[in-house]
Amino acid sequence: MINLQDVSIQYPESPSPVLDKVNLEIQPGTLNLVTGASGSGKSTLLRCINGLIPHFSGGKIGGKINVFGRNPITAGPADLAKIVGFVFQDPEAQFVYDVVEDEIVFMMENTGTSRPTMQARLDDVCQKLGLESIRMKKIQNLSGGEKQLVAIASVLVGLPQVVILDEPTSQLDPQTADLLLRIVVKLKKEFDLTILIAEHRLERLLPYTDQMIHIPEQGPLQIGPPEEILQNMSLVPPIVEIARKYKISPPPIRISDFPNVTIDTAASRKNVNRNPEKNQKTPLLKVNDLSVRFGTQPILNCINLALNQGEILTLMGPNSAGKTTLLRAILGLNASKGEIHLFGELINDKSLNPVISNIAYLPQNPNDLLFAETILDELHITLKNHSQNINDDEITKFLKFFNLEDKQNHYPRDLSVGERQRTALAAITIHDPPIIFLDEPTRGLDYANKKTLAERLISWRKTGKAILVVTHDIEFAAQLADRVAILEKGEIIFSGSPTKAFTQFPAYQTQTARLFPGTNWIIPDDLTLLND
Amino acid sequence: MTVSATWLIWISTSLILLLSTRNPIYILLTLTSLFLLGGKISLKKEQPNWTKQNLRFLITTIILSTLVNILFAHTGQTLLFILPENWPLIGGSITLESLVYGAVNGLVIGALYLVFNILNLVLSVKQITRLIPNAFRPISIMITISLTFFPSIQRRAREIREAQMIRGNKMKGVSDWLPIIIPLIVTSLENAFMLSESLTARGFYSKSSTNISNLNLIALVFAVFAVFAGWIFRLYNYPVVISVILYSLGIISIIFIFIIAGKQVNVTHYHQEVWHPRDIIFVGLSFIIAGAMIGLIRTDCLSSFIYSPYPNLSFPEISVFGFILSAVPGIPLIFISHD
Amino acid sequence: MVSLILVLCLILLLFETQSSLLDSKLIAFLGVLIAINAGLRFLENALPGPAGVSPIFFLIILTGYFFGSRIGFLMGAMTMFVSGLITGGVGPWLPGQMITAGWLGQSSALLKPLVQGLKWQHKTEEIIALSIFGAIWGILYGVIMNLWFWPFLGTTPGQTWLQSAGLMESIGRYSAYYIATSLVWDITRSIGNILIIGFLSRPMLRIFERFEKRFSFIIVET
Repeated sequence: MINLQDVSIQYPESPSPVLDKVNLEIQPGTLNLVTGASGSGKSTLLRCINGLIPHFSGGKIGGKINVFGRNPITAGPADLAKIVGFVFQDPEAQFVYDVVEDEIVFMMENTGTSRPTMQARLDDVCQKLGLESIRMKKIQNLSGGEKQLVAIASVLVGLPQVVILDEPTSQLDPQTADLLLRIVVKLKKEFDLTILIAEHRLERLLPYTDQMIHIPEQGPLQIGPPEEILQNMSLVPPIVEIARKYKISPPPIRISDFPNVTIDTAASRKNVNRNPEKNQKTPLLKVNDLSVRFGTQPILNCINLALNQGEILTLMGPNSAGKTTLLRAILGLNASKGEIHLFGELINDKSLNPVISNIAYLPQNPNDLLFAETILDELHITLKNHSQNINDDEITKFLKFFNLEDKQNHYPRDLSVGERQRTALAAITIHDPPIIFLDEPTRGLDYANKKTLAERLISWRKTGKAILVVTHDIEFAAQLADRVAILEKGEIIFSGSPTKAFTQFPAYQTQTARLFPGTNWIIPDDLTLLND
Repeated sequence: MTVSATWLIWISTSLILLLSTRNPIYILLTLTSLFLLGGKISLKKEQPNWTKQNLRFLITTIILSTLVNILFAHTGQTLLFILPENWPLIGGSITLESLVYGAVNGLVIGALYLVFNILNLVLSVKQITRLIPNAFRPISIMITISLTFFPSIQRRAREIREAQMIRGNKMKGVSDWLPIIIPLIVTSLENAFMLSESLTARGFYSKSSTNISNLNLIALVFAVFAVFAGWIFRLYNYPVVISVILYSLGIISIIFIFIIAGKQVNVTHYHQEVWHPRDIIFVGLSFIIAGAMIGLIRTDCLSSFIYSPYPNLSFPEISVFGFILSAVPGIPLIFISHD
Repeated sequence: MVSLILVLCLILLLFETQSSLLDSKLIAFLGVLIAINAGLRFLENALPGPAGVSPIFFLIILTGYFFGSRIGFLMGAMTMFVSGLITGGVGPWLPGQMITAGWLGQSSALLKPLVQGLKWQHKTEEIIALSIFGAIWGILYGVIMNLWFWPFLGTTPGQTWLQSAGLMESIGRYSAYYIATSLVWDITRSIGNILIIGFLSRPMLRIFERFEKRFSFIIVET
């Protein structure tokens, strides 16, 4: 059992404590979900249980902590490592070795475990996690989900009693995230674990959660069963939002638990007009018969795509379908066959100039772009790159649009995750390009940041920009897509209206669509209630 | 022959052999056996240009070494031609002897390079890293981390470069590398922080300056000093005995210290190298050869190893034993065909 | 024999640094920096620049300058080792390279008290000092590396450098040998260093400042 009594944690540079007088009890064998906005203290809470705070990261800590009989504050992480396993959020940054097996046995080698024991535990863990086929593979060649499984395996071999996971699925696509979380739940029983998991994507875990811990922006922690805590949260999964519309309380967390409600069938079959401003289609970008191969491997096959003015196109598909390759081929970073027309002119991959002046590209990791001392400098640099004048008033207006005006002299990398993404977005659009490409922009964002991003993209669409968003976040896409293209195995298998995409393809159905099959509703806002 | 220990023995014997002779015939023989060995291994490892590349290197080294020697060393009897004396340092007689000496030097350097090159071919990076003794475990983990991160850093650098290019960065001058290096380093260091958290959370050994490790350090200093002193004594022509004692003292202490330091680190290894009969035979053979060498030296049968073109150019003498010993580095040829 | 002494000194220095400094934070920190520097060394062969320009000096000098002599030594020595492993170039000159690069990092730490004494921190003078230091070492590196090989070439037998006629003549002979073989490379390396350090140091130092805070800490328990 884990027990926190009056625990307060404060970092040396900050004026107020991150966690203030927290009282928390965690029963053995339970799955505990920790949620809260980015930067609210989730990571801090998790890390004080295995002693990483304060021993590793510093800070003032008060109160008492008891983890299955040990005190992390006095014992430290090396001691707690014997009973607590910690899995981190970035699959790229947890591995010492390059081969799966080596990484998994690392922990056992370090503690001087005997070889037969190592063999036994390794085999057991690999079998339970389904890693047998990839045991000898190089970690860098695995998918994100497989990498996280390896990370979990490397802590399970230590036979911990507690496993803590800090946003383990934030860098993964929904299908893989689903799989991973299902495995985590299964492992809880098989290894008799107590699990603490911090997550933004509540939908998947809610059905299995025994206790939910919500860290609000202000005020004390809210601790209790999930149905209870959900009632007081502002940003919730679609199923809870819909339940609120129907005044169903406590909100059901499983689709199967949702009671039958009466709906206006006629209204539900109406075509929902998602983009009232759009009138005529002017294609700014046209892709004809684009094919890409790496050596002899065909990656993309005869892709046809058009991006029109004043529209948001979401490009979706499973992980290795080739979405990023398609983006890069259009940008001229990959060699390709076929034709790409930008503003009616054929562009080839000899010169990147037409692309540079017309398309803004937000890479999967927006941090890749930030290198200047202040936000203002980042904007100035892009302007200089495009030989445009620097007009201070315009810049201030621009920053206001991104809600960054008061932070213009801050160091970009000190900002929060959402602010950094906004800075990167500002930095690539300051020269007012007509086309914007975003590659997986929702990775690692919490609900609030996703909402602001969606709002920003929609307001850009109103001004006539053409936006292409590569994403696997179905709910996010449903909020803002004008058109949806689905790429699978290198081919576009669907290109058309979001309503069709999110109701008729089982892998891409939104929660709303699954709750109301046979209707045209894909987001909670679509709902028209019977007595409206 | 797959065990790294056997190859270590091989490289030690080869190095000792190479460094103990200047007899060009012997060195040529060793070079031939090395080329044969390396050629065979490189074919297996799918590096078809190996022989060509190394031959090129050898020839370049010989030419360079010969040039340097004839220009700077002016002793010897057989005159080739004379450069004006007033040319600084290179002026003087250019002799055949110094040419031969330089060429022999080149042969030795080339052979040394070949030996290491073969070692690179035969041992994987992982095997080399595992050879680092437990006493140096923190450093070995650091090396492992570098090796693991290297591909992802290359990939990241490419992604950053592309994103900045689309942003308009023209990549012309040195300052245009800033937008790539800075995000790369910052992101990598942030990853390093998470990695160190992961290490700590898995119970990785942290430093501890205990009394024992301090003692180890002091002992190590003395041991190294002992070896150094032995060398100095040898240089000033003091009796060999003193040097030998100091060398042995130093080296044995060092090994001992490593063992002690290693024991402090409580580490086991999952992957064990499998010893095949060939490995055992090779090790045995090496010991026999070593014993034979010592025996031969004492009975002065190996005077042919010492050779010098000065002052008069002469044909090097050869003996059967020398012949056999020079071919020793090629012994693995017999074994690797069965790998 | 010299090589053996060299290797032993290297081992000694590494052993000392390891026992006094290396904890999991520094291991990860240096491990990643070394991977980056090894990547830069890769570029050294791939970049179409003048031969001799070596991007690895920059990081080694700055690491030693900012974090101290022992970390600087580790950075230099291990950069050579790891890049040697990666490029398949573990050769007989590796110990020499490791020690020389290690000295590069170690000596960079000496600049710190100079800069602090003259109150040049965060000013242009600091960058100029670092650039000049890089230029000097551009040449010095070549000088020292050649020194390891000099006994093999360019001497007559029976004459080791200790026993040859006087120190001045040795220096003279060595200089001629050096000029003939590597001065050109070293000059391009120095110029490269000046450029690289000049442009990239300021932001790099700021990064180090920010990360220093994160990688060290103070525990205060109530």
